[in-house]
Amino acid sequence: MGLGGTLLLLIAVMPFAGALLPGLMIRAGRNVCAISTAVPTFLALTMLVVLAPSVMQGDVVQAQIEWLPQLGLSASFFLDGLGLLFAGMILGVGLLITLYARFYLSGEDPMGQFYTYLLLFQGAMLGIVLSDNILLLLIFWELTSLSSFLLIGFWKHLPEGRQGARMALAVTGAGGLAMIGGMLILGNIVGSYNLTDILAAGDQIRASEWYLPALILILLGAFTKSAQFPFHFWLPHAMAAPTPVSAYLHSATMVKAGVFLLARMWPALAGTDAWFYIVSTTGLVTMVLGALIALFKDDLKALLAFSTVSHLGLLTMLLGFGTQAAAVAAVFHVINHLTFKAALFMTAGIVDHETHTRDIKRLGGLRHLMPITFLIGTAAALSMAGIPLFNGFLSKELMLEEASHTDWFGSAYAVPVMATIGALLSVAYSLRFISHVFLGPVRDDYPHKPHDPPFGMWAAPALLVAMVVIIGVAPFLAEGIVTAAANAVTGADLHPHLKIWHGFTPALWMSVIAVAGGIVLLLLHKPLDKLWIAAPRPEAKAIFDRLIAGLVSASRAITEIGHNGAISRYLAIFTASSVALGWVAYSSGGLSAPTRELLPVSPVIFVGWVMLIVATLSVVTMHHHRFRALVLIGIIGLSISAGFAYLSAPDLALTQISVETVTIMLLLLALHFMPKITPKESSAGLKLRDGVIALGAGGGVAALAYAFLLRDIETISDYHLANSYEGGGGTNVVNVILVDFRGYDTFGEIIVLGIAGLVIYAVMHALLDGPAARRLKNTDYSHDRSRDRHPMMMVVATRVMMPIAIVVGAYIFLRGHNQPGGGFVAGLVIAIALLMQYMASGFAWTQERQRMEYHTMIGLGVVIAGLTGVGSWLFGRPFLTSDFTYIHLPPIEEFEVATAMLFDLGVFLTVLGGVMLMLYSLSRIARFAGETVNVDPMDYDPADRITDEEER
Amino acid sequence: MSIVAEILVSFALVVSGIFGLVGSVGLVKLKNTLQRLHAPTKATSLGVGGVLIASMIYFYAKYGQVSFHELLITLFLFLTAPITANFIAKAYMARNLGDKDVPETTGEYGWSIYDDPPSPGSDR
Repeated sequence: MGLGGTLLLLIAVMPFAGALLPGLMIRAGRNVCAISTAVPTFLALTMLVVLAPSVMQGDVVQAQIEWLPQLGLSASFFLDGLGLLFAGMILGVGLLITLYARFYLSGEDPMGQFYTYLLLFQGAMLGIVLSDNILLLLIFWELTSLSSFLLIGFWKHLPEGRQGARMALAVTGAGGLAMIGGMLILGNIVGSYNLTDILAAGDQIRASEWYLPALILILLGAFTKSAQFPFHFWLPHAMAAPTPVSAYLHSATMVKAGVFLLARMWPALAGTDAWFYIVSTTGLVTMVLGALIALFKDDLKALLAFSTVSHLGLLTMLLGFGTQAAAVAAVFHVINHLTFKAALFMTAGIVDHETHTRDIKRLGGLRHLMPITFLIGTAAALSMAGIPLFNGFLSKELMLEEASHTDWFGSAYAVPVMATIGALLSVAYSLRFISHVFLGPVRDDYPHKPHDPPFGMWAAPALLVAMVVIIGVAPFLAEGIVTAAANAVTGADLHPHLKIWHGFTPALWMSVIAVAGGIVLLLLHKPLDKLWIAAPRPEAKAIFDRLIAGLVSASRAITEIGHNGAISRYLAIFTASSVALGWVAYSSGGLSAPTRELLPVSPVIFVGWVMLIVATLSVVTMHHHRFRALVLIGIIGLSISAGFAYLSAPDLALTQISVETVTIMLLLLALHFMPKITPKESSAGLKLRDGVIALGAGGGVAALAYAFLLRDIETISDYHLANSYEGGGGTNVVNVILVDFRGYDTFGEIIVLGIAGLVIYAVMHALLDGPAARRLKNTDYSHDRSRDRHPMMMVVATRVMMPIAIVVGAYIFLRGHNQPGGGFVAGLVIAIALLMQYMASGFAWTQERQRMEYHTMIGLGVVIAGLTGVGSWLFGRPFLTSDFTYIHLPPIEEFEVATAMLFDLGVFLTVLGGVMLMLYSLSRIARFAGETVNVDPMDYDPADRITDEEER
Repeated sequence: MSIVAEILVSFALVVSGIFGLVGSVGLVKLKNTLQRLHAPTKATSLGVGGVLIASMIYFYAKYGQVSFHELLITLFLFLTAPITANFIAKAYMARNLGDKDVPETTGEYGWSIYDDPPSPGSDR
């Protein structure tokens, strides 16, 4: 990768890096904001210009960075003639749009946001035209859909803006999905995702039996993006965007992406009958239909939108012809369309900005009031009409020339006639744009008195119109870039000559017919318009809305089956399918003979087991009484932890006891605000179903456990046991697993725990704003409330216990690496100690005495754990590699220091913060329900009484 | 282990068993909550205490080491049992009994559950 490659990478990165600026710079003012948007664009454009001469000579600049080589995805870019043409357009027009938008946007529009979106979009577009890897191209392709969604919906307050943005995203996004399929097939055929390889393997692709599916899928992507019939309807609705967006997206960039793709894929896909008939027919239909609708649109921007649709159809048709001359015409028309269409959009924006309306029927006579705008608009529109001495004429001649000798299903006339009709309609709506807006008498009923805008606003369209005229008069100036781009498209070595005068060719006569017919049509516009309005015609938006509504209800119906909001259904599905999978595994694999004897069951264990069973059955029968169920659940939890202790799992026992305690305490507090009895909701059939599922799952797990207990099975535990001390530096294997072997899991889990705490906090916010809040406010809890809420005995005992509990917690934390314990349990123990304080003296009283926010604690915990993991990078090790050493500080014995301990500290803080945040949320409910906050730690303080008597 | 120690351990175990049994029977037999409260807190506390004493003697006599775990357990037992009983009683009174159901206090203030705290606590 030489200097050129580096520059190319910089060009691709520049807009994205630049996108960070405008959002910040808006604080320094609108001019600074606009300049900070223009600078990255300008820099990229400069670099492009530096690369241009060698590319025009036919060189290809390449740059490559491996990204995910396993998937064949690399961040590789290349710049050939076609890429240069499009990149130049994207950046050049981007610069002009930046200038124009600076004056177009009003003070209320968030300009920083706008420019950020604009740069993001520009970056995505540049990515498309520069990508040398089709997977990368797809990423940028989807990025343009997303960023254009933001731009089209920029005026969030307008329903049209939102709907238009959604429609554009739905259509282009769906096309993008189809294209992913097509590109993957293409990559599979060729065996490489590199565009250069694919373009070189055209014959192989066309010979493949997968050619047609790939072609159709890719064309779906291109046609949706380029608004080809029948996907053309999103483009006019996207006109709800601010005009700079329309000018940018719909002249130079977004919609041209589809055309670009057709051109890019031309060497690989074009040249077959399928390509010719699908592409050129679609293009032809779109061209005529778009032009016809445009003629009858009263909204200036809608007229331009449909004319864009029409011109995109023209481009598609040219590329569909599959001949080299047609490709040259297409490339040339891309340039010409860009110049006059961007200028026209900006003109429409100026008219709208000045008169406050875009309705053609309310305009007219503006040439006297806005002479500069009139000049710009007229020149651009004449070019769109294809009048000589403007650049639109040149490419239209080339198009008609190509159309004149194209056979379509054996008919020599179909294409030329249709093309002439398209051109004719194009002349008609272009002239209508001029005559109905600018010509005619000056009116006195404009919504706003118009005059020419400031220079900043008309500078950009004026520059574009200058190009329109220069190319129109001296077309040879554009020959260089057209040749370079056309060579890149066709892969041949062409030397086209662009001329104004070709002699008396069929194309000239077709042109003459078009202009004459266009004028006639314009003169007849009034009666024709009446006919058009009276005629029934399908409304694309209504069809689309019905389609979407149908899709939504269909997917909702499907979702409802498994996802109806009732947790019992999820659990039933999940459990039943787990059991079924277990059964499949069992019945397909079989079971080896047991290798172990069952241990004898001692009486104590048997009694414990019976208690567990009885408690479980009691929960099943008594679960409607919530408090009773809670007590029983507590019994079950303690029995299980006793079981862990018996089965030599002290860590689990410790954890189970602390989790059980915290859970029961929090649940008790929560239950206070809930009905004490749950209603009976399940029918007998449902109960039976649930019972069967539960018994099946329970029996299955029991059988699984039984099977495991009777067999010697090699598990990963052996590895853990063997490596825990040597590798992890701890003799407590469970803790070493948590903080070292599977530290990444733990890291994820504490994040989940922290998020759970935060979510509870956030949900509580929403909860205290809804129907639940009204219920709380209206329920009278005062009879539940003792006057002696904070009894002295409890307060004193918990105060005495607090330091002891904290020492225990610290002890458990410190010894965790080698003895049962660790950050998780320690966090819970300390949480219990604090919980007791809260229960004894009330939440608010205790809250005042703690220095650290619980949110901070959670965040700090995650950050500490994460930094500990990242720390190992500094030593060139993978994330979360732990290290340990032994330190000997004289009065204390030698002890071990492990980085895992820092990680454990993170776990500790997160657990503590999470639990306390949940408690805090509960306390908020309590206070919301009317609980008062006490000033003293206890209600009756004997110490007070003594002072009281002394005072007397 | 000497015969004396064995007798002592057995005695403590038997005593604890009797208290435990009495406590459990009381929990089943006694009529209302406030009465039932006495069974586990008093009788059963003593029952557990007996087991703990037996355990201390056993470990001292058999292995010659003084074990403090039992002392700690005793401490926590004596801390939690009365506080729990106190809480249950207060909760029960607050929910089920009124001002009228209990006799007047003979002291300066009324029942803490029914009357407001004495004023110096709040206007300080």
